[in-house]
Parts: sequence; C-alpha cells; structure tokens
Amino acid sequence: MHELPITKSIFKTVIAKAESVEAQHISLVALQIGVLRDYIPEIMQKYWDYIAKGSIAEGAKIEIEEIPVTVQCNDCQTIYDVDMSNIEKTRCPNCGCQQGNVVTGREMRIVGIEID
Amino acid sequence: MSELKYIDLKQCILEDNDNVANEIRSLSKEKKFFVWNIMSSPGAGKTTFILSVIKRLMDRFRIGVIEGDIESTVDAQKMQALGIPTVQLRTGGDCHLDAAMIKKAMENLPLDKLDIVIIENIGNLVCPAEFDLGADLPSMLLSVPEGDDKALKYPLMFTVCKALIITKIDCLSMFDFDFEALQINVKKLNADLKLFPVSAKNGAGMEQFCKFLEEIVNEKIQLLI
Repeated sequence: MHELPITKSIFKTVIAKAESVEAQHISLVALQIGVLRDYIPEIMQKYWDYIAKGSIAEGAKIEIEEIPVTVQCNDCQTIYDVDMSNIEKTRCPNCGCQQGNVVTGREMRIVGIEID
Repeated sequence: MSELKYIDLKQCILEDNDNVANEIRSLSKEKKFFVWNIMSSPGAGKTTFILSVIKRLMDRFRIGVIEGDIESTVDAQKMQALGIPTVQLRTGGDCHLDAAMIKKAMENLPLDKLDIVIIENIGNLVCPAEFDLGADLPSMLLSVPEGDDKALKYPLMFTVCKALIITKIDCLSMFDFDFEALQINVKKLNADLKLFPVSAKNGAGMEQFCKFLEEIVNEKIQLLI
C-alpha cells in the first residue's frame, strides 16, 4: 500500500523528463531501492500499470535494484552487512559491538529511463 | 521502429518533498522556531503525551500545533482548549503528512510568535517515516501494549528518528515488554537514538523528557539569536 505515493512521485518525475526530450514512449524505469524501504516490486509494477495507463509510460517495466542494509559499527567503524530477517543476531563481525548507524539500505533513487 | 535510448536521472524519488522540507528548515531558522515531528501507530498516545508536554512547557515556550488526521478535528479541539494556536490538517485518506502540507499549514500559524511547532503526524508506522518534514526532532512514540518487537517489524521508522518515547509505562505490569531487548534492537541500526520511558497519565519520566526537549529547543533558538 505504501508503494502508491512513491510510484506516483516516480511517474511525475519520469514523465517530465521524457517530455523534455520529446520521447514518444518510456519502455523501462530503473530504480535503486534500499531494503529498509520494504517495497514489493510486484506491487510497484501493478501501481505503475494503473497510474501510467493512457500515458507515454504505459507498459513500461519497473526494474528495481535492491540495495542491501549496511551498518557502520559505533565502536570500531567497520561497515558490515545486516540480514534484516536475522537482525536479532546481528553484531559487528570485527569487535562484537551491537550498536551502529545505517550506511546503506534507505535509498530511493531513479537511476534512469529507457525511451524510444 | 525508433531506437531505444537510455537517459540517466540519478534523482531521489522524493526530491520534491525533500526540497520543500529544506525550505521548512530555512523558514524555521529565519523565524527562530523549533520543529518537532511526532509519529506513532494509532492509539500510542500521541495527543495525551503532547498535551502533557505542552502543559509542562507552555509557561516557558510559545507553542503551536499542526494536527494531522485522516478525519475529524477532535485532537485540534483539545489543543485549542489550552489556548494553543492549532492548524488541523485532514488528509481525507492519505496515511502520512508531507512537507508541502506542513509548509501550507505553517502559513496559518503565527510563526513570528512561536518557539516550538509540534506536528502530530498521522497514526502509521510506515509512510510517515518516508517523508522528511524538515523537523529538528523527528520522534516516535511506542506504547507498552504494542510490544517491544516493533523495531524488528518497522525498522525504517526507528532509523529516521532521534528520540524514541516509550509511552504508557504505567501499565508495564500487564504486558511482557522487554526494555532491554528494545534498546539492543533499535541501537543496531540507530546508535544515536535516545530512549525516554514515560507515562503521561501518572507523569513518570515526563520531567526528564521535557528537560531534554527544553535543552535542544534553547540550543537552536539561542544559536539563531
């Protein structure tokens, strides 16, 4: 459900860009989305198909590159991967500290669009 | 058939919102007020907690409130009963407030005469975390009956806040709420998050929280004088 306002925002941005270069059709929208955003790609595509109906972006494929969660250790500054399904067991692999700050995993980026 | 062409955008999806959030930051610096965004699930006790904070601080600070609700004006009426300038935002279904709504609401507050603008966000642990409102203190309320495992279920919210206020601690004996587990889990992704256990009902922890708020509000306002 929370994918809807985001998908609308992506639509607005890419339509403006495509129109500025007088594109006839958008065939692909490439995104980078952090795992912490918890977006479901199939749902984004479904919303897209609904929002883009009748526009130059109708039928465009939404391609999502998921960016994993990494954290910087609060003690030794090591950056390490976090498996969100196993966060209770997560700790710094270098020093064992359990406190850190998110480095990646919150991205929400439109990388580019394919037009013809 | 025409040739396919790839255009690089490298643009943040919520760039429009983030730009307006930055305008709010500039406005709050120019007019010298502090912006406090309060998020939680429905029923965590936002309104009761805010009223309790206002009663404790209204002799020291001039406070205004922006109330976000999907429907109704009941919360705004409670604020107005205290004589607090209040703007009610009714989103009519939208599950979050965005920066544009806040900027517009601020036009209806006497910003020159305020020290703190409190934003009571829509009750929801997902969407409000995604929209930067330009707040100095983004914060979250988690009530004891909701359980300590919420940090595992809604991690984004816990990473965007600077303060986590655990409410309704007066009913701790009725629930298996594990403070230590909560603290360990939230600090894994947000080591700087400050935790405040409170009960707005019996006043426990309220002084400590208000002292913290008073300090960071003064810090901002005095820096700008």
